[in-house]
Amino acid sequence: MDNTRNTTREWVHGLTALILGLFLLGISSGLGIVKNIVDLWGALLSVPEYPAVVMREIFLSWHSWSRDKNTLNSEVMKLRDENAALRLELAKITGEKIYSDDKNNSDIKTARVTLRAPMSWWNEIRIDRGEHDNITQGLPIFHEGYLIGRVSSVTLMSSWAELITSPSFLIPAVIEETRELGVVAGDGNGTVVLRYIPAGRGIKTGMKVSTAMIGEQLPPGLPIGKIAGEIASNSDGYATYKIELGADLSRFYTVSY
Amino acid sequence: MLLIILWLIQDLLTVFVGGGMQIPGVFMLGLVYKLLFNEGSDDNLWAIWSAFAGGILWDLRWIGVPGFFTLSNVIVVMIVIQVWGTIPPQGRTSGTGLLVFVLMEISQLIPPMLPVLILGGNTGWTFFLIQQAYSLPAISVTMYLYLQRMKKTKV
Repeated sequence: MDNTRNTTREWVHGLTALILGLFLLGISSGLGIVKNIVDLWGALLSVPEYPAVVMREIFLSWHSWSRDKNTLNSEVMKLRDENAALRLELAKITGEKIYSDDKNNSDIKTARVTLRAPMSWWNEIRIDRGEHDNITQGLPIFHEGYLIGRVSSVTLMSSWAELITSPSFLIPAVIEETRELGVVAGDGNGTVVLRYIPAGRGIKTGMKVSTAMIGEQLPPGLPIGKIAGEIASNSDGYATYKIELGADLSRFYTVSY
Repeated sequence: MLLIILWLIQDLLTVFVGGGMQIPGVFMLGLVYKLLFNEGSDDNLWAIWSAFAGGILWDLRWIGVPGFFTLSNVIVVMIVIQVWGTIPPQGRTSGTGLLVFVLMEISQLIPPMLPVLILGGNTGWTFFLIQQAYSLPAISVTMYLYLQRMKKTKV
């Protein structure tokens, strides 16, 4: 008798838990409060997780050292110097004031991606740096040296950044080889396009795209990627081009800023 | 207390690997292990709600949307309760090792599978398959603990 009652209670509680779970799954993706709870829970867990973070950093630095980090760094530095010299040369030719990326390596800081929700996979990420680390709203973030987004909101210990693939991320950009200006926009599904380029201007696949100096929020000259091909031309005489991003947004665990 | 520690271990391991590899669900393994020995009250309600709480906290920490692991953890517990309940206490010996292995494998199979089924994607399936490979050592350890305890209990 007791056994039957227990089984019934188990079924009742089990089904209640399942219904609650389904309910949460159904309603929570659109609720802003969930994001706040996620942030709060992440902040609380950052205390017990601290040893794991430190151990991970130690392990990674040891791993990099074992793979001859110095050789790679000097190679990167050499390429950076070469790139900076080329940019200055280009600026002299075009008379354009470009974004100066003359920060030392030590000034480039890294943040870990702590959350990338499946429902907003191409829209936003959370990083483990906040006000405490001098993160400010609008700060551009990079991966592999390419722009991948900008900080949209900041809390004390973490920040949310809007990705370049987000449909609401619209920034003025320039095709470096032709100096044509357009607007870079994401579609929320991993594709990024360059809009409003006059058709028939000889834009070719592989031409580089970077932020333009007419943008107020982002400095000019930040590399974005390259032209991957024309998608469409409209009747107004403007073409839309698909951009192949320089950074791989499908696999990144850290960002730099 | 054991479940809280296991949840934290799983979380710390996930932080440590930083997304580079998948971590076995030690929380669910611990929960199934406790269920097999009827630790806690007789009606197993503690297991249902522990699975629910563990799942929702995991979703909030790593998925961003509560529901995925919440649901799948509860499903696993319900399966284990129902299947294990069909075997009378006298029949629960080391001879049921294969069934115990299957139940533990289910606890590692279903939770990461639900998000993949809902969200899809090749990366998801690859990650899911890798996790199963990484889970085998953890399942083996739990099986060893189960068999050792069964031996002691029966002697």
